[in-house]
Amino acid sequence: MKIMVAVKQVAFLDDEFEIRDDGRDVGEDFFEKDLNEFDHFSVEQAMLIKEAAGGDAEVVIVIVGDEDADDALRTALAKGADRGIRVWDDALAEADGIAVAKVLAKLVEREKPDMVFTGAQSADFGSAVTGMALAGFLGWPHAAVVSNLDYASGARTATLRRELEGGLEEIMTIRCPAVLSIQLGINQPRYASLRGIKQAKQKPVDELSLDDLGLSAAEVAPASRVRRMYAPERGKAELITGSAAEQAARLAEIIKELRGM
Amino acid sequence: MANNRPAKYDILFEPIKIGPKTMKNRFHQSPHCIGAGSDKPGFQAAHRAVKAEGGWGAVNTEYCSIHPESDDTMRVSARIWDAGDVHNLRAMTDAVHKFDCLAGIELWYGGAHAPNMETRQTPRGPSQFASEFETMTYCHEMDHADIKQVQQYYVDAALRARDAGFDMVNVYGGHAYGPLQWLNAYYNRRTDKYGGSVENRGRFWVETLEKVKNAVGDDCAIASRFAIDTLYGSSGVEVEEDGLKMIKMADDLVDVWDINVGDIAQWGEDAGPSRFYRQGHQLPWQKFVKQHSKKPVLGVGRFTDPEKMAEVIRNGELDIISCARPSISDPFMPQKIKEGRLDDIRTCIGCNVCISRWEIGGPPMICTQNATSGEEYRRSWHPEKFEKAKSKDTILVIGAGPAGSEAARVLMERGYVTHLVDSAEKVGGHLNDITTLPGLGEWGYHRDYREVQLEKLVKKNRDSQLALGAKRLTADAVLSYGADKVIIATGSSWSGTGVNALTHDPIPGVDARKPNHVTPEQIFAGDKKIGKRVVLLNADPYFMGPSLAEMLAAKGHDVTVIDGVGFGRYMHFTLEAPNMHRRLHELHIDVIGDSWVSKVEEGRVEYYNVWGEGSRREYRGPGVLPREENRSHKWVEYDTLVLVTGRQSDDSLFRDLKARKDEWAKNDIKGVYVIGDAWAPKILADSTFDGHRIAREIEDANPQLPLPYKREVSVWGTAYQPGGEHKQEWRI
Repeated sequence: MKIMVAVKQVAFLDDEFEIRDDGRDVGEDFFEKDLNEFDHFSVEQAMLIKEAAGGDAEVVIVIVGDEDADDALRTALAKGADRGIRVWDDALAEADGIAVAKVLAKLVEREKPDMVFTGAQSADFGSAVTGMALAGFLGWPHAAVVSNLDYASGARTATLRRELEGGLEEIMTIRCPAVLSIQLGINQPRYASLRGIKQAKQKPVDELSLDDLGLSAAEVAPASRVRRMYAPERGKAELITGSAAEQAARLAEIIKELRGM
Repeated sequence: MANNRPAKYDILFEPIKIGPKTMKNRFHQSPHCIGAGSDKPGFQAAHRAVKAEGGWGAVNTEYCSIHPESDDTMRVSARIWDAGDVHNLRAMTDAVHKFDCLAGIELWYGGAHAPNMETRQTPRGPSQFASEFETMTYCHEMDHADIKQVQQYYVDAALRARDAGFDMVNVYGGHAYGPLQWLNAYYNRRTDKYGGSVENRGRFWVETLEKVKNAVGDDCAIASRFAIDTLYGSSGVEVEEDGLKMIKMADDLVDVWDINVGDIAQWGEDAGPSRFYRQGHQLPWQKFVKQHSKKPVLGVGRFTDPEKMAEVIRNGELDIISCARPSISDPFMPQKIKEGRLDDIRTCIGCNVCISRWEIGGPPMICTQNATSGEEYRRSWHPEKFEKAKSKDTILVIGAGPAGSEAARVLMERGYVTHLVDSAEKVGGHLNDITTLPGLGEWGYHRDYREVQLEKLVKKNRDSQLALGAKRLTADAVLSYGADKVIIATGSSWSGTGVNALTHDPIPGVDARKPNHVTPEQIFAGDKKIGKRVVLLNADPYFMGPSLAEMLAAKGHDVTVIDGVGFGRYMHFTLEAPNMHRRLHELHIDVIGDSWVSKVEEGRVEYYNVWGEGSRREYRGPGVLPREENRSHKWVEYDTLVLVTGRQSDDSLFRDLKARKDEWAKNDIKGVYVIGDAWAPKILADSTFDGHRIAREIEDANPQLPLPYKREVSVWGTAYQPGGEHKQEWRI
């Protein structure tokens, strides 16, 4: 019995940031990186299934990313997952959800898991496409935005609840193996212990290239391309303080400024 | 990193000329007590210098006695009586001057308010009166020769101050001291040229300033602290009457005015606790001075927000922001504002625990927010700089309350991999409840500072973790957690059975499992309905009883307090007592003092006067009280009984782990320690100190117990006075 959990390292903006010279992304120095929030829930869900099976299930964490992404992978491993796989190739530098899904599909073929989890979406780009695209490539049953899951290790079906528009929920039974994208709040993710963090550093992580997976750079060319990233202009407000005379003076200044005087 | 300081704060960093001196910016550390005086020169120098380093443009001593005739023992003032004091205070001015900061001294003559318990001299004043502050002390009414002599004390002290390296001398007429006693007709009942009209009552002050200015005015800036309104209406000094007249009379003689309000008997109107006063609370009085003076004006008001500070200067209310408490809480506040690091400011919470130590008389100052305050010299703790970790040990801190969050913060500042775990979703522990009590919202700055810093530090410290909302850790979970060292900071709880400081026993009939008996925690949780008639049993001397009584009475409950320890007794020291008593009165809260509870029945409490036993003591054999039995018992009815009787440590996790010490080694645990309320219930400042202290000393042989600190005591074999004799001599 094996559960594969695909995770992502996401970027958070600092309070102050600058756009890269090519205008297509924020400069690397203005990011803080961390494991995608949704993935804490998908990893936890896998761990709960493993623990309910008395440990008789393997949880494999997979990530597409460069060396930096090791931190996110180890964060997931520190919670008790068994091993990791990290896939990287410079050709993946601008990979979108579709390209990542293609890589993940190859990993599924290689690992043959009984269940695949992804987060419902990533906290930084929020496309919510990777999990369902993966299911599409695999031709597997799938369910998105899963908020409740009843699944025992090795079972042939799972019963789940997912969130729909307008506050509706649906309950469905799904044939396994399947790809499920996991919603926030499905469980209460655990924190890693110091032992977990120490052990995670020793856990096996396979580092694979596109070659290893039999993929060419052309096959993972992104289906979309960011043309420009920018901060939209915002309206300005200013609190004018001081004595009545000072306030009037500042107001006159602003009016002159706006009228270009 | 770019400086994010908004341009509107630039005004705080404009230099300002004060007589012969120039302050580099508008941050003035007001004179305030620390318990160092001139007797602990290392403490004095290090405490003031760390503020100079932190960017203050001027720092001051505490009130500094000009002559043995003004001796405040047991309270600790500085003294500049002789060459020995000059030598010791020189340590401060030298240390402060290293940071382009002015050093100021506040020249204090207390008159009747100084009890002279060490020097045994007789204080002098404008008229003879018994001090309303030190009710055992009367002063001797000065004649004209006395006036000249006391004014000469000021001059001689100013000259010594100059020799000690001070840049500013402050003729202290705040808090009902010195020349203010002359101006204030409440004290001054004279009929000669020093009494009667405001010109006459102000004469002592004007003459003293003239003499001091003539003596040192070329070398030192002359300041004068002036309580411009003593807040008793026409029975005292009022700002728009005597206050402004005095400003005009003396304006040519000062280089800067230092303006506050109030007196000494209720000086919480000046050093206003956050329970009652927001920042800038004295401005409605202070702001008049700039309209009538040609000189720069500075003043206090627990200014913590640069937005307010800049506004006050822009509005022409003050020229210089003076801070005592905010400078204690964050000695680096000016530098942090300068660098635009506003979220790094450790904001004063206005609890006045710093002041409480002076009021108690003797102990060194402490600060709830800043555990390094007062520890600069004796423990070598810098508020912003930390010794790098001395080992690779990983640390688990359990409990993110005041003690645990401070321990984790300092451990991470030092570079230790630290996990801070709490079952609550928020940092702060019981402080999150306390801040919901009337007037105590600002105490939440204690939590906020740590929350912000922990979030920053956990990102910088690889493998560290802030685990909030986590499962409660059992001893098994701690043993297998993988930490090298474990710090338990699990706090304390209020007794649910009425265990108290008077009997050390539960109160018969008290049981917080009943729906109508509630502990403070149960009130905060809000699960129990509170009835109309509340009886609050109080055996805790600090804020919890009065706060809950106020909260419940304000909500419409009829509150009766049965108190056995002095209701809000410690709040006298924090200057919260006068207005707290006014609140109790306004809310018709009935306090039955000097009483305790013998038993509780359904709907009624039996209590007795604690002095109700016979006064005559005699041996009456075993099992028999050696006095007449207490027969003062009475009953009072309640719908809800509130239990503020005592606290007990929540230390079961610590004790479980201690009991399994033989399992530590095989789990690679080097030590398990307990801090804060879990060690023994204590005030917030001491819990915070515990957390800070263990983090500074975590690699030592036994971090549970503090290292010895550097003591400053006089060394036998040396005379304090240069050229003096230390040996015993008889005058025979």
